[in-house]
Amino acid sequence: MIASAHSADKKVYEISRMSNEVKELRSAFVDGRSKLMRLKMESTIVKKVKEKGLEISTTPPRKIKIKAQE
Amino acid sequence: MATTETNILNRLYFVAGCMFVFALAVVFKLCTIQFIDGDKYRAMAQKRSIKPFDIPANRGNVYSADGSLLATSIPKYNIAIDAVTSSDKNFKKYIKPLCDSLAVFTGKSSGSIEQKIKKARNTKDQYLLLLKNLSYSEFIRVRNFPLFELGSIRGGFVYDQITKREHPMGGIAERSIGYERIDENGYATRVGIDGAFGKDYLRGENGRRLKQRIGKGEWKPIRDANEIEPKNGLDIYTTIDVNIQDIAHHSLLGQLEKYEAEHGCVVVMDVKTGEIKAISNLGRNKSGTYYERLNYAVGESHEPGSTFKVMAMMAALEDKVIDTSTVVDTKNGRKMFYGRPINDSGAGHGKISAAKALEVSSNIGLATIIDDNYKNNPEKFLKRLRAWRLDKTLGVSIIGEGKPVIPKPGDKIWSRNALPSMAYGYNMQLTPLQTLAFYNAIANDGQLIKPRFLRAVKEFDREEEVFDKEVLVNKICSDNTLAKIKDILKNIVIRGTGERLYSETFSMAGKTGTARTDYANYEEWRKDRKYVSSFAGYFPAENPKYSCIVVIHKPSTKVGYYGADVSGPVFKRIAQKIYTDTPLIDEMQSVDYKNPEVVQDFEKFNSVSNTYKTIMPDLIGMPAMDAIAFLENMEVDVNVKLNGSGIIKSQSIAKNIKLKSNQTIVLEAS
Repeated sequence: MIASAHSADKKVYEISRMSNEVKELRSAFVDGRSKLMRLKMESTIVKKVKEKGLEISTTPPRKIKIKAQE
Repeated sequence: MATTETNILNRLYFVAGCMFVFALAVVFKLCTIQFIDGDKYRAMAQKRSIKPFDIPANRGNVYSADGSLLATSIPKYNIAIDAVTSSDKNFKKYIKPLCDSLAVFTGKSSGSIEQKIKKARNTKDQYLLLLKNLSYSEFIRVRNFPLFELGSIRGGFVYDQITKREHPMGGIAERSIGYERIDENGYATRVGIDGAFGKDYLRGENGRRLKQRIGKGEWKPIRDANEIEPKNGLDIYTTIDVNIQDIAHHSLLGQLEKYEAEHGCVVVMDVKTGEIKAISNLGRNKSGTYYERLNYAVGESHEPGSTFKVMAMMAALEDKVIDTSTVVDTKNGRKMFYGRPINDSGAGHGKISAAKALEVSSNIGLATIIDDNYKNNPEKFLKRLRAWRLDKTLGVSIIGEGKPVIPKPGDKIWSRNALPSMAYGYNMQLTPLQTLAFYNAIANDGQLIKPRFLRAVKEFDREEEVFDKEVLVNKICSDNTLAKIKDILKNIVIRGTGERLYSETFSMAGKTGTARTDYANYEEWRKDRKYVSSFAGYFPAENPKYSCIVVIHKPSTKVGYYGADVSGPVFKRIAQKIYTDTPLIDEMQSVDYKNPEVVQDFEKFNSVSNTYKTIMPDLIGMPAMDAIAFLENMEVDVNVKLNGSGIIKSQSIAKNIKLKSNQTIVLEAS
């Protein structure tokens, strides 16, 4: 009885520690995600490649679609 | 003797009696505690060691159409220092490097931080807040600063974790994505999508669980299951397209900065479905930088100016009181209407067709058309506007939609001048979103759709609710009128007021607008002219995909104020972006043509390589390239030496001879 109560208590500590860890990881994930979102935005990319002399194309890409003969 | 004995006995009885009464009193008290006040005390005991805990439900996320996160709840950290707990030795040793690190982190001076902490130590302050709202990575960085890395007891590092609503896109579309905040008095502020759908979907329901106190300030759940299970909020998928939003935001920002305007907004809507693809609202703060200040597109009704001429013209066309070729006299740029002049910019256009009047955005032209044909029956004109629902709000989900103002006879702002004024978008009010919805109806073959922000509500991957388009008016006018107005809108960009926006590579159609604002005191206005520059339209001109409105308030007149110059470029940039993002598709018939010669060669090669695996084949007449590939792929390793190139003429080993490992074969080619 006493032993199992103690082991339950131990689990509670473990759970609270781990849920904190989950929060931290989640925070890290959103942090990374925000950074990525800002980096992959077209306006950021345009700014970055401008130094290399690249610009947005004024003509759209061409796609060649081949119809199967059968 | 005997009397003495009785005396003692009597005394004994007395003492025993007293003790008995005392014991009775104890039993009585015990019983009262146990049975009479028992419930009260038991409740008290429970209160101290057992407590119901709220289990907060996770608020749902807000996603863009492609699944990028727009709003989510994440933990943030506040960092404080317990200035008392660290030992003198540690404090002395680390205080300087700690303050230096904090100074680098915050940009404040190291000295002032040090002073603050030292003061806290002197006044025995155990909680001095240093940093607020840190992200996790920042939190980790600060945790590793000198002194703090010693932990909470030796270093005095104190932190709280709080849950905050975060927008990973940053300031972009912040106002439209929005938030929900409930203060201590229960008063809720609901902004944007997050605010509008908070109650129904995002919020979820808190659960409850009874817990018993155990050591270390922790509480242990009493039962296995929660008394009330928390229900997490649902995720909502908006219609926002991150790429278009990004372009819309940055091109609007660029124009606002260039023209030093007060505020502006841009909205992009999908023609067929009414989905809002992008919505950006930027206002200037005191220091002159722009941020998502208010939801102008949804909430601000203002005099639309020339963009309304399209509605006026359409009413006249639909009522068949004019045709596009009807001639109107716009005089020399100034005409009196009931004692009040109406002016055109420039020197006037003389006698022009009604279509031309709209192309060059002649105020006199439109005022004349409407006044001539409706002055005896303004109700007929107003009835049109009401049928197009221009007098009603759209009923969009975002809270705080601005109310349109369309005056009618009898209203305070109604006069004989009201009708000609309305013809060119004055003496009435619309929100940018309402104007856009109308232009969208033109692009959508006359079907007026309600702009919407939500695509679906999901719980993980399971769709709880899917939203479809909502038709407000099935057909606003005849196809004939639509074709005429579409033609004019296209021509405005080709040769009218939108001429400067014309591009050879992609087509767009729309109407410019340059309206005066804050002109109540005309003398005041003349000194500091304030305009609202707008552009509303759709693209491509044929088979429109998106409609868009750009409204910029109070650009600096020193730089420019015409709708085509101020707002038009934002529209053009978005149109261009969508054009360059959509691949042109060339369809072709299959080129899978079989050359009989090639087929024959291939068959020959294949059969040779399948038969000759360890025996020398006849390579003469074979191209050198094939011959080498062939020999190298044999099951024995041979060295091949090739002289010349072209077709093999001779081989050093005759055919059908078994090859040995590492044998050298010399091939002669011409």
